[in-house]
Amino acid sequence: MNSTGSTQVAKLQDIKEKTPRSLQAFPAKVFHWLNIISLTVMLMSGLQIYNANPVFGGREGWHIPQFFLLGGWLAGGRHWHFAAMWVFSLNLLWYGVYVLVTKRWQHRFVGGNDLKALQIGKNPKRKIYAWHRIVYTSIIPILLLALFTGLGMYKPAQFPWIVECFGDWFALRVVHFASVPLVIGFAIAHSLLSLKVGGERLVNSMLWDEML
Amino acid sequence: MAEELNSQNPINRRNLLRLSGYSLGGMLVGGSVLTLAESLAGKATEPLNQKVEELLLKPQTPVPEFPMSAIEPNALIINTYDFTPNINLNEFRLVVDGEVNNPLSLDLATLQKMPRKSMVIRHVCVEGWAAIVQWGGVPLRELIQLAQPKPGVKYAYFISADRYYESWDLASCLHPQTVLAYEKNGAPLPLDNGAPLRLASPIKLGYKLSKWVVQVTLVSKLLPRRGFWEDQSYEWFAGL
Repeated sequence: MNSTGSTQVAKLQDIKEKTPRSLQAFPAKVFHWLNIISLTVMLMSGLQIYNANPVFGGREGWHIPQFFLLGGWLAGGRHWHFAAMWVFSLNLLWYGVYVLVTKRWQHRFVGGNDLKALQIGKNPKRKIYAWHRIVYTSIIPILLLALFTGLGMYKPAQFPWIVECFGDWFALRVVHFASVPLVIGFAIAHSLLSLKVGGERLVNSMLWDEML
Repeated sequence: MAEELNSQNPINRRNLLRLSGYSLGGMLVGGSVLTLAESLAGKATEPLNQKVEELLLKPQTPVPEFPMSAIEPNALIINTYDFTPNINLNEFRLVVDGEVNNPLSLDLATLQKMPRKSMVIRHVCVEGWAAIVQWGGVPLRELIQLAQPKPGVKYAYFISADRYYESWDLASCLHPQTVLAYEKNGAPLPLDNGAPLRLASPIKLGYKLSKWVVQVTLVSKLLPRRGFWEDQSYEWFAGL
C-alpha cells in the first residue's frame, strides 16, 4: 500500500470513529417506531371491536380479556381504530415510496441470494441471516393484507369487489382478524431472529441509536 | 465488582425493581393519558374520516345487489336499544314534516301504493357481523320529493315509535337504495325487524337504519342531539 492510500484509509477511519454511524438509516427507524406504535393501537382497538361480536361463535363466543383491549367499549375501540389507521397506512405509504425511490427494495429485503444460501449454502450464520430477511420481509404483505381487508370491512358498499375477493363477509372477517395472530407471531420471530443475527447491537441500532 | 455484574447482567435485582417502578408509574400515567387521548383521537380524526366518507359516497350510484338465492335468513340479528313498541296499524301514520312546503301524513295503504323498490343488499352492523337481506319499500327520495323540501335542507331526522332517534345527511337520504321498508325477505316486515316501517340501505351501518319509523323531519341544521348512539359517541356519518 502506498503512503497516500494509507493516509486516506486513516482519514476514513478517523471520520468513522468521530461520528459513529448507526447500522440503520434514520427513515427506517422512524418507520419501525411508528409501525410498532400504530400497530399496537390497531391490534388492541381491533380486539375491542372484535369483542362486540366475536368472529368465532358470535355473542356466545370466547371474548378477549380486558387487558388486551383499548377503548373501553365498541365506540371507543372504533375511535382508536379509525384514528390509528391513518398513522398506520400513511406510515406504510411513505415508507413504500422511500423504499422504491432509494432502491432499498433491491438489497434490503429477501432476495435470490438468501434462498440460495438456504438451499446450497454451508454457512449456518448466513442461513439464519437468510431466515431473518425472509421473516422481516413478510411483514410487508401481512400489513398490506390487513389494510386491504380492513378497507373492505370499513367501506363494503364502496369497495364490494374487496369482499368478493374473499368469497363472503365471514371469510373477509376471518382474514382481517388473522392479522392479529400473524402480527404477534411475526413480532416474536422477528425479535428472536434479530437478537440471534446481530445481538443487542443490531436491536439497539433499530430502536435507540441516535433516536434521542 | 458489583458494577461489573450490573453491566453484564441487565436483569439483576436492582434493575428489576427499577423496571417494575417504571411500569407501575407508566400504567398509572398511561391510563389517564389514554382516556384523554381517546377523546382527542376521536375528535381529531372523526371530521377527517367523515370528509373521506362523504367523498367516497357516490350519491346516485347504486351499490351492486345480490340474487334472491344469496339471502341469509338467519344471519340478521335482532337488536334494539330498549323495547319493541306496540303500534296500532289502523292508526299508524308516517309524518314527513320540518322545513317542507308540503307536510305529509300517510297511512300504510297509501305508502304501499307508492313506487316500490325491492333490493337484496348486505346489512352491516357496527358490531362486525353482516347479513344479506331482501328489503321492499318506498324509496325515501319519493317521499322527500313529495314533501318538497325548502332550499337549505341538509339533514333528516328519523323518529321511531320506541323513541329511538337518528339523523342523516340529505345525500344519503336521496340515494336510490335508501328505502322505508315494509317487506323483508319476500314477506311482510316482522314486528321485531321494525314493522310497519323501517329504514333500509346498503350505504349506512345498522344503527342508522331505524326501526318503527313514524316521523321524518327535514331540517337545515343538526340539533345537539344527533342520534341515540351518536349521543353516546358513536360515529355520526357511519357510511359504508
